[in-house]
Amino acid sequence: MSALVTIARRLFSEEWWPLLRGTLLSVAVLAAGIALLGLSGWFITAAGLAGLAGAGLVFEVFRPSAGVRFLALGRTAARYGERMLTHDATLRSLARLRISLLEALSRRPFARIAGLRAGEQLNRIIRDVDMLDGLVLRLIIPFAAASIALIGMLTALWILVDLKLALWVFAGFGSGSIAGLAIVIFRARKPARRKFAFENAFRTRTIDLIAPRGEWLVAGQVREKLDQALDAERRLQDATTEADRADRLSGFVMAVSETLVSGGALVMGAWLVVGGQVNPAIAAIGFFSTLALAEILGPLRRGLSELGSMSDAARRVVRLLDAPGKTEEGQAPPVAGRGGPNILSFDAVSFAYPDSRQPVVENATFDLKPGEVVALTGPSGAGKSSLLQLAARMYLPDSGTIRFFGAPIDTWPEEELRRRIAFLPQRSALLAGTVREALRIADPDLDDAAVWNLLATVCLDETIDARGGLDLRLGEAGSGLSGGESRRLALARTLARRPKLLLLDEPTEGLDRETARKVLAGIRRQMPDDGVILLASHREAEREFADRCHHVAAPASV
Amino acid sequence: MAPPDPTTEAEEMPAPANGRSPVSRFTRSGTDAEKLLRRAEWVTVAASLLWIAQAAAASFVLANLVSGSPEIRTAINGSMAFVLVGILRAALSHAAGAAALQASQITIGRERKLLLEREALRAPLAGGGKSSAEIATLASDKLAMTVPYLTRYRPAMMRARVVPLAIVLAALPFSWVAALILLITGPVIPMFMALVGMAAKEASERQMEEIGSINGLLLERIRALTDLRLLDAAGRTIDDFCGAADRLHRKTMRVLAVAFLSSTVLEFFSAVGVALMAVYVGFSLIGQIGFGAWSSPLGVGEGIFLLLLAPDFYQPLRDLAAAWHEKANATAVAAELEAAEKLVTEPVVGTGNRRPKLDGPASIRSHGLRRDLGDGRALTLPDFLLSAGQSLAIVGPSGSGKSTLLALLAGLVAPSSGELTVAGRRLDDATADGWRARLAFVPQSPHFSHASLRTNLRRFAPYAGDDALRAALEAASATRIEARLPQGFDTRLGETGHGVSGGEARRLTIARVLASDADVILADEPTADLDVDTARAVTDALMALKAEGRSLIVATHDLELAARMDSRIDLGSPR
Repeated sequence: MSALVTIARRLFSEEWWPLLRGTLLSVAVLAAGIALLGLSGWFITAAGLAGLAGAGLVFEVFRPSAGVRFLALGRTAARYGERMLTHDATLRSLARLRISLLEALSRRPFARIAGLRAGEQLNRIIRDVDMLDGLVLRLIIPFAAASIALIGMLTALWILVDLKLALWVFAGFGSGSIAGLAIVIFRARKPARRKFAFENAFRTRTIDLIAPRGEWLVAGQVREKLDQALDAERRLQDATTEADRADRLSGFVMAVSETLVSGGALVMGAWLVVGGQVNPAIAAIGFFSTLALAEILGPLRRGLSELGSMSDAARRVVRLLDAPGKTEEGQAPPVAGRGGPNILSFDAVSFAYPDSRQPVVENATFDLKPGEVVALTGPSGAGKSSLLQLAARMYLPDSGTIRFFGAPIDTWPEEELRRRIAFLPQRSALLAGTVREALRIADPDLDDAAVWNLLATVCLDETIDARGGLDLRLGEAGSGLSGGESRRLALARTLARRPKLLLLDEPTEGLDRETARKVLAGIRRQMPDDGVILLASHREAEREFADRCHHVAAPASV
Repeated sequence: MAPPDPTTEAEEMPAPANGRSPVSRFTRSGTDAEKLLRRAEWVTVAASLLWIAQAAAASFVLANLVSGSPEIRTAINGSMAFVLVGILRAALSHAAGAAALQASQITIGRERKLLLEREALRAPLAGGGKSSAEIATLASDKLAMTVPYLTRYRPAMMRARVVPLAIVLAALPFSWVAALILLITGPVIPMFMALVGMAAKEASERQMEEIGSINGLLLERIRALTDLRLLDAAGRTIDDFCGAADRLHRKTMRVLAVAFLSSTVLEFFSAVGVALMAVYVGFSLIGQIGFGAWSSPLGVGEGIFLLLLAPDFYQPLRDLAAAWHEKANATAVAAELEAAEKLVTEPVVGTGNRRPKLDGPASIRSHGLRRDLGDGRALTLPDFLLSAGQSLAIVGPSGSGKSTLLALLAGLVAPSSGELTVAGRRLDDATADGWRARLAFVPQSPHFSHASLRTNLRRFAPYAGDDALRAALEAASATRIEARLPQGFDTRLGETGHGVSGGEARRLTIARVLASDADVILADEPTADLDVDTARAVTDALMALKAEGRSLIVATHDLELAARMDSRIDLGSPR
């Protein structure tokens, strides 16, 4: 619940003025609806009275009928304005929420960014943000507007008709709506939550059934997996039915209370008329205005039925927004005259991944001198990629020291460090856009000649030229290129950084021998003379390319 | 309750004939769901019509008050009738909602089951078809979008057909002018709605893409965050994203402006209609209008009755307008389902059920095997005979059909011509399940279930204990993976093997096969992603399996591995 308040405050603080105007218009819509019914009821009844009394010709019809027209048209206009204002403001602040989310995620430590790759978790983040639009549009504004309109209506009934009638409407409608809303809050919340959980389970199990179906078939388990997915679906249906039942029950309770209030207003009006306290036209105001009550609560009920899912979504979004900042970043300003004989040095470095029980790097010690090209070799799982990740400061070592230009790597400010180190990880992601944009992400100042030059370096110039040049548009996540081509484009992007220290994780994986040699030669050409290249490698061509190899042995097994 | 046989159910549901709207697949006549939905539709109509009775009761009470000799007893009786009918009305709405929801759940449950059954038995490697993520989205999110079509749109449509007409008929006995007001203003509404709706439809089609794309942009950027930060481009990317979000926002608001306009038009005309009715009734009552009513002048009770009816004449039309886009959504989903059915998909050989193992020695003989690759090329496979316990290497460049041959051997795709004889019998629908019970399989791209390491290792050995699994990990040089993972065998792996590298994933898939008691092992590139030493260790482990008397068939680029097999098939380039 507190997360919902946090999000609500965020959404409101940025757009409070349009949202306030929207809320006021929403009050105007409800008030006009109530007044329209009350006035029409009064008008007809009073006209009937005048007609029966033979005073029809002196009955003043102009003002009431003008009032009816004004309220009817004003209500329509107010509704349009309210919708535009509140949707505009809500969508705008949700867009801002998405931006903040992206910012918060980008401030996370690398270890936690890597954990975001799984498709399902990302989809959930997206769905959570979408869910939150109901918070303002279907919960807060209808609630505020309903409260104000109701108070206004009760006051008007008190002044125009009778206090007892106002109290009756207040008591009847109040208890009915409290009961109805309580049913939604307490009985629909759990099934709504279950619905969300089983929806996710159904999706996950469906993917798990379809993607490796060849394996399930060979294992003879395809039926079991199908049944598991359908079982999640059945539970999803049960939860849906239960949530819907609570929702409808609350609707029933509210409808009954509205009917009782209207019926009661009719009887009380008659009683006041028989007692001679009011005339029948005034009594009609009470009955007719209660007919507008349904319009007040309808939207609010819908919002409340989403309350459970919204507060869960808010909690997850707030948790992401509050994620801790970068832990790797150094605070010290770059020290003038940094230097020493080595660009990079590892001194007795040990490291275990945060979710792991065993060190992946143990007591690693090596130096890189200016201009060197060094290949890390060793069996898979020995920790070559981990050494590169440590050198790129994606993680900080558990013990030992890594120095970059003589200064401990954790003292470097992020921007200074990134300007000097470029890293091509094993898996890299491209964005949708043109080839030119894909490279300019690394350096916005690249001109077309520089882009072509980089493409030539990775032997991609002919391919790109044949397919439309630098304006060739890549689809989502760089689709449209083959796996090997995307890899080389990512390599070109890394080279565009012109770093002092270039870290490459198996840069020529998937290339044939000839192309691999050409690409490696190109990489060397792109690097400044004193630049250093450290690569993880298990290919012959890469080892030949290096000035020396550094063998990495796996830490001793437990 | 046993699940019905999918094939017979599929036959009961023929694809809709040409010319019918695709959305009709959700309401096929004669099904239980359709009967329930019909009932729900009529019950909501009945509930709406009860308002006529409530309006009569209320106007009866008010007429009595105006009459000059008001009686409290009449007011109580009339109000009681108003309340009782109102409660009945609420109860009918409640019941109708339940029936409509049940109908929708039966319908989407059936669609989901058909979809998953078909897709689960679609031949892998046969090409065509949707990705698992697309299927999951279609089955869960998109099919759920048809629920409001069934529960809101359909009943609203029925009410819009019946209720306004019934209200005109109820008004007619009292005043032909009142009936005429409704009759004239009623049809004007759909006309204007159609005009505005056309603009809105065009705009919202564009918007569907845009709305999708703001989330798409966000997703893509989150996925690329590691790269963006390494390139020091996170700040720039966020600025770009702000710009894109702003442009999308402006487009979206333009669409919403049109969409809201259409409901405003509707509201405007119904307000005009009600106001006209109020003015007509008012002027009649004071005697300034002397025509229209059968009994002249119009009575007070009759006037109030007409006024109470007027808003409910327009209400069904407004409900329908509010639910209008639900039909568009459901139609899009239906079209997508239909398109998915039409994709050339080919089922696997056999039923996919667990069957007892085919008996006899596990020999494999191929004769004139040919498989069309779908793009005009065909793969012609050499005839070969593999006796039980022998090993075979399938080599050839990428794209030459190595994986396809493995799939043929497992009955995952059927040959276009020629035949395979396994354990002395022809590999066909009758024998494929029993044959597969003897196989274990190392896939080219590992996929792990979102389940514990233990469960994942047991894929081909459902009853293996931890000791057996440990031995298998040992043989696959993968003991360290289990030792490293935070909860050992209980660590949950993700979709793509959360927490394990590509080489580790490969070794786990080998360990999975080693733990099984299958007597024919099919392996697709078992040493890819592995360094020389590990590759050798894995090869040794596979050879150890062969030494136990199991047959071994590997598709591989690894010449060292291929050299250790008894025989070899070179597929060369596709013929």
